[in-house]
Amino acid sequence: MSEGTAAHLEHFQDLERQAHAARLGIWVFLASELLLFAGLFALYGAYRVHYPEAFGWGVDHNVRVLGTLNTAILICSSYAVATSVHMLRKGRAKLAAGLLGFTLACGATFLVIKGFEYAAHFREGVFPGGHGAFFHGKPEGLKVFYTLYFLMTGLHGIHVIVGMGILAWLLSRILRGQLAVPHTHPLDIGAVYWHLIDVVWIFLWPIFYLTPGAL
Amino acid sequence: MSAMSPGLVPQGGVLSVPPTFVNDDESIRSWLLTTDHKRVGVLFFVSTALMMALGGAFALVLRIEHLTPERTIVDALAYNRLFTMHGVVMVFLFMIPAIPGAFGNFLVPIMIGAKDVAFPRLNIASFYFYFVGAIVVLVAMQAGGLDTGWTFYTPYSVQSPSAVVPTLIGLFIVGWSSILTGLNFIVTIHTMRAKGLGWMRMPLFVWSIYGTSIIQVLATPVLGLAVALVAIDHGLDWGLFDPARGGDPVLFQHLFWFYSHPAVYIMILPAMGVVTEVVCTFCRKNPFSYRAIAYSSLGIAFVGFLTWGHHMFVAGLSVFDAGAFGILSMLVGIFSAIKVFTWVGTMYRGSIAFKTPLLYVFTFLFLFVFGGMTGIAVATTSLDVHWHDTYFVVAHFHFIMVGGTLTAYLAGLHYWFPKVTGRLYSERWGMLAAALVSAGFFVTFFPQFLLGNAGMPRRYYDYPPEYQTLHVISTVGSWVLASGMILTVTYLAWALKSGKRAGNNPWHSASYEWLTRSPPPPHNFDDTPAFVSDPYDYTETGRLSHE
Amino acid sequence: MKSISQRTTFLTLLALLGLTLGSFALSYVHLGRWSIPVALGIAALKATLVITIFMELAVEKLTVKLSLVAGFVFVFLLVGLMAADVATRAAAPLLPHPPS
Repeated sequence: MSEGTAAHLEHFQDLERQAHAARLGIWVFLASELLLFAGLFALYGAYRVHYPEAFGWGVDHNVRVLGTLNTAILICSSYAVATSVHMLRKGRAKLAAGLLGFTLACGATFLVIKGFEYAAHFREGVFPGGHGAFFHGKPEGLKVFYTLYFLMTGLHGIHVIVGMGILAWLLSRILRGQLAVPHTHPLDIGAVYWHLIDVVWIFLWPIFYLTPGAL
Repeated sequence: MSAMSPGLVPQGGVLSVPPTFVNDDESIRSWLLTTDHKRVGVLFFVSTALMMALGGAFALVLRIEHLTPERTIVDALAYNRLFTMHGVVMVFLFMIPAIPGAFGNFLVPIMIGAKDVAFPRLNIASFYFYFVGAIVVLVAMQAGGLDTGWTFYTPYSVQSPSAVVPTLIGLFIVGWSSILTGLNFIVTIHTMRAKGLGWMRMPLFVWSIYGTSIIQVLATPVLGLAVALVAIDHGLDWGLFDPARGGDPVLFQHLFWFYSHPAVYIMILPAMGVVTEVVCTFCRKNPFSYRAIAYSSLGIAFVGFLTWGHHMFVAGLSVFDAGAFGILSMLVGIFSAIKVFTWVGTMYRGSIAFKTPLLYVFTFLFLFVFGGMTGIAVATTSLDVHWHDTYFVVAHFHFIMVGGTLTAYLAGLHYWFPKVTGRLYSERWGMLAAALVSAGFFVTFFPQFLLGNAGMPRRYYDYPPEYQTLHVISTVGSWVLASGMILTVTYLAWALKSGKRAGNNPWHSASYEWLTRSPPPPHNFDDTPAFVSDPYDYTETGRLSHE
Repeated sequence: MKSISQRTTFLTLLALLGLTLGSFALSYVHLGRWSIPVALGIAALKATLVITIFMELAVEKLTVKLSLVAGFVFVFLLVGLMAADVATRAAAPLLPHPPS
């Protein structure tokens, strides 16, 4: 069906319509993802209002440099996948594939760094749900803070893994010549999903790394 | 356009049946793997109808239990499980998916002159998400039982030693069905309209599905989060809402109702779309104001998101939030009122045909207005303090959901029965059933307003003997209502096999789905119509173009 | 669909990295109550750049743009009213701390 030719699915009038429908579809899906994370951000907001000092302490205790590094990594990965889309549209499939590979490497690096962070927390006795030796004698708000931290970065991490899966699959299609001009919109779709991951992290970063509260 | 019913037609010298979406490949495999939106619609219809029957059975048992104070037929734990199952099944497995999944899927592409929805494979996938999720929910509730109420409030839902986690997993899966259905409709309506079919010439049922789809896409994820958090708290002991660990149970309620209030508009908006179609066809008139109906559909979708805190007035909400939500809740009534006045204005001086669909619409108008006004009443914080968690609220939402959505569902069922099946049902039986359903409904639920106002709490297993009379009346009403429903199933099943053949347009409607055969061909139209006429054009010239 | 130039995309990358560095640096400055709004404000700016340039929303049809605006409106609604609830409640602890 999609051998890089102008063939389009039967119920659409033409490929342009199909591509437009696909793009609208992913954006509508993104709106739903936005609301999913919004619930967690809302919980953070409500709980931070209630426990300003504990949350501030928790933010300060995270390693700011690692969080910032991860932010930069995701931004570069977004640039790479956006450029990959442009290159594929121009017919430069090899370059597009290389850029996608770079994006995947960024995603993997991000996860590795987060893995180190989680490991450090576990070593300290910080576990979600207020479990762990760390919490003895500490204010209650810290339990909520870390539970939210693991929930929000964890959910984000799951999305990174899913995003990497999608991009890897698209990469394999490009390498097999199945994704080429004029049938390039599937990469647009995958790229938009990846950018969502970047946007969510853009907001996770300040609330977990940059805002240690009134100092 | 041929007005021939799908009887035999001469084709190449041989008499044969023209292909319809039903007889074109009748294998089970072709049905289970279908990407035809009409077949997906039928799959949703059958599944949701079965769920309605199940939820109704639970309700009948509940009502029998309430015939006497103390134990009648079940013990207290079973009672808690019954009202939980009744709520979960009715809300998540019937009310939310039924009209969009069944009627929406079948009709929307035809009404906009498309061959199918934008993402047909996603469509059948969304059916399987629903089906699999429903099985998980039902098995979980049977095997482990669930007694938290359909609202899953913490801390009890986190502590209850019942099948909370598997049920919530099932609901999470069902939620995907809702999101994907909504996504599919939004993209379909934006991108697949036939040439020349602008936004302001679509049948208004499509507008109602559009508004519903926006709610499904934006609200359901928050429910998904809420139930996931409860499941995680329960299964992994993360205590996010546990006061002993600094958690706040009210925050769960915020997340839950942020979905569940807009959810009630998922339930009523498509029903309102059905009402518009039936009113215009059976009064042979264009809507009093097309734009009023179209824009109020969007208005309800939007304002519906602003009101969720009115479920939490006595939960410990701040005074500021309570005040804000009280005011916002009043606003949503405006759009419903706009629709009601528009429908009535449409009927005025119309050429009214007293057929079963319109009878259900008359019932709808009365019960919906009644129920809606009691909604405004309970939105008043100072009054809700007394009515919250009493039968007054139970009566309110049953007036809207049963008196509103269910009657509109029945109206739509009868209205489009000929289109889907190619057969006519018996009007006499239809009218009798409508009378039973309407009367039965009122006798069941009106006493519940009185019960609640007199202080009868909801979800209580027993009650002081002073309340018994009203409970008995309500239960007898439920038997009348049930008999009307059973009668409906019976004569419709009979009509499916042996009803008179319907033509393309037995109601002589101007709307677009009646331009094609009954049942429609696999790709909806033999030749795509030009859609020059308005879907509500009952003037002389309009009529001539689609008799 | 019109396209966004390579140059614009690259400049956006630089702007994003610059804003990231800036936000990082500002986090060490004593801004008191303003640290959260400032950090989130910069984040909003970065998100806007990613959305309009990298995700090409700037050249998408209006319907697509509207779907995102709608989403954000409801995000603010949820976050706002939930935080407002906790912020405006009477100052009482949730529950007495259980005796240890």
